[in-house]
Amino acid sequence: MKKEVFELVKKELRYIGILFLLVLIIFKIAFFKEDVVVLFRNVLSLFWLFALPGYFIMLYWEKELGFTERFVIGIAISAAIIGIFSYYLGLIGLNIKYHHILLPTVLVIIGIFFNSSKKD
Amino acid sequence: MPKIDLEKIMLLIFFAVILFLGPGVLFDYKLKHDFPFAYSASDAFQHQVRANAIKDMGNFKYEAFYISSGLEGTVGRYPPVMYHIAVIFSYFSGLEVYDAIYFIVVFFAVIASFIMYFIIRNFNKTVALLSLPLSMLIFSFPASIGFLWGHWPSILSQSFLLLFFWSIMRIDMKHGYILAALALSATALTHTSETIFAFIFLALFFAIKLIVKKLNKNDVKNIMLSLIIFSMVSFYYLVIFQNTWAKGQPYSFAVQPVWEGNPGFYIAGFGLLLIPIILGLVFSIPKLKYLHISVILGLAMLISGFLNYIGFQLRSFQIRFFWPIYLSVFMGFGLYIALKFAVKKWNFAYTSAIFILLLILLAGAVKLPILKQTDTQVIPSIPYLNRETNQGIMDQYHWRALKWLSENTEQESKIYFFYGDIYNQDALLRNSKRFHYQVDPDDFVKSIQDRKIKQSYVSELPGDTGGGITIRKGLFNFESATKSLPEGYFFGPKDICTFNYLIFDKVSRQQVLAQYNTLIASEMLKKDAQIVFENEAVVILKNNRVGADCIEERSF
Repeated sequence: MKKEVFELVKKELRYIGILFLLVLIIFKIAFFKEDVVVLFRNVLSLFWLFALPGYFIMLYWEKELGFTERFVIGIAISAAIIGIFSYYLGLIGLNIKYHHILLPTVLVIIGIFFNSSKKD
Repeated sequence: MPKIDLEKIMLLIFFAVILFLGPGVLFDYKLKHDFPFAYSASDAFQHQVRANAIKDMGNFKYEAFYISSGLEGTVGRYPPVMYHIAVIFSYFSGLEVYDAIYFIVVFFAVIASFIMYFIIRNFNKTVALLSLPLSMLIFSFPASIGFLWGHWPSILSQSFLLLFFWSIMRIDMKHGYILAALALSATALTHTSETIFAFIFLALFFAIKLIVKKLNKNDVKNIMLSLIIFSMVSFYYLVIFQNTWAKGQPYSFAVQPVWEGNPGFYIAGFGLLLIPIILGLVFSIPKLKYLHISVILGLAMLISGFLNYIGFQLRSFQIRFFWPIYLSVFMGFGLYIALKFAVKKWNFAYTSAIFILLLILLAGAVKLPILKQTDTQVIPSIPYLNRETNQGIMDQYHWRALKWLSENTEQESKIYFFYGDIYNQDALLRNSKRFHYQVDPDDFVKSIQDRKIKQSYVSELPGDTGGGITIRKGLFNFESATKSLPEGYFFGPKDICTFNYLIFDKVSRQQVLAQYNTLIASEMLKKDAQIVFENEAVVILKNNRVGADCIEERSF
């Protein structure tokens, strides 16, 4: 990964960390009857399955789009990719119980790979 | 000191408010429930059961036999994306599938409102902020029927449709066509009819481009690349769709002004908000030449929501669930235009004040005395969120009984449901995960009127036949799975003694129906049946001699 992109990722992962805490607090307000552990696990799921893979995919367009827009769009893009490819992976025989680990990991790696090989 | 970004603070406030008043209220401020919560119609259970079946099977190659009227090996024909996302989320979050699938649908509806925000922001930041609060109305009645009654695939697909609109706005970015292709595939594999609406939008977009002479070679290249990738990614499922849904429910012209049997959303439901919406619509027409996606999509989805007049039927009514998002650009623009007349030097403080005011007003927190406020669709009114939690039709007693059946009976066992108040929403019975019939309520009531206890009752096999239960013989070779079934397989008299387990409700809104259930159960207990499960609402009998006379027919 290029140095300036690496620096950007370092900075923006901090934003994502702050966002994680803010979302957790907002979830505690919206679902105030729920146990904190349950909320934590759910917010973590949202970040692991959608926010993080989406962030690394959308990083490719870091020059055209601001962080907030990339972050939100990334969530939806990640859901689209995970939903579609989970279907096909299931059909070729990979049980869905492995997809929640496999697919986000692959998307993060793909995101990092394409950002490393991107030409200006 | 770092600069405080007020726009982002506004977005966070909106996220907190919509989450609290939308999913928060809907789910009684909890994520985990003891049973499917706020499920108000059969379709909601239909989706929950299918997601559960996919979790059990590990994939969606086949539809589970207890969904397909007892038939094995039938192709999984429902668009799969929503179910797969829900199951994956269930695995990681630890939520039950029935909570996970519902949460995913409402969460992405919230995300959709943010996507719309970024689309409008590309037009005007102030308009985007003024538009955002209207999105909350997707959780107001009657638009909320989309959630409560289980129009979930359409709602999730419309979230991807907004992603598609956004990606068209950004298609000129390097490799931006990939995002458009993925978003379009996601609509097709979540609820395919939304893909048609995507093409309606594209037609309008390119028509305007052509008229204003802004269509260039690059546009055509990008959209072609996008469509090629879309076709490749969606091909496998679209073959299934073409041979099931497209054949089973082909287009036919019909004028359907009212959505019969459903409390649909109609344009008058915006009440007094129609004033800024119409104002915004009128003033945005000249902006079409600038090709602002937010304006074009608003127009396209307004038209799409009225295609019930030319045969799109419920698909158009489903689009209206998201009208508060699609048409928000007109309200924001209308307000902006109107207020600009009064305020010459606009600044962010005005935007923030109106944003907060709209949130309060649409949340129903303040009732204006001079305006009649109601959540019915009568002008003049200002629609707002009703903030009432509804448990839905399931309860812990029926849920435990259904769970017991799925976990404690032999997989090949046949089960029979006698009358239950909630059993007309028959997809919930599939939670037994067993081949099941249910008594026909008309024959049941007639038997009470005739004062008869019978061994044979008219019965229904309540499977999911939408799109046609189909077996895939080859890549393009599909065959109906039901064509060789005997007459009376789906509906007709059935000997209750041929079933392994029989389920009786002990309570009913009309107690005579429950008393008749109890009478039949007690008659069966005199022979070879035994109670294997019982709680405050349900009793389950096991028939120990399947096929033998299990009940004495008599009058009472």
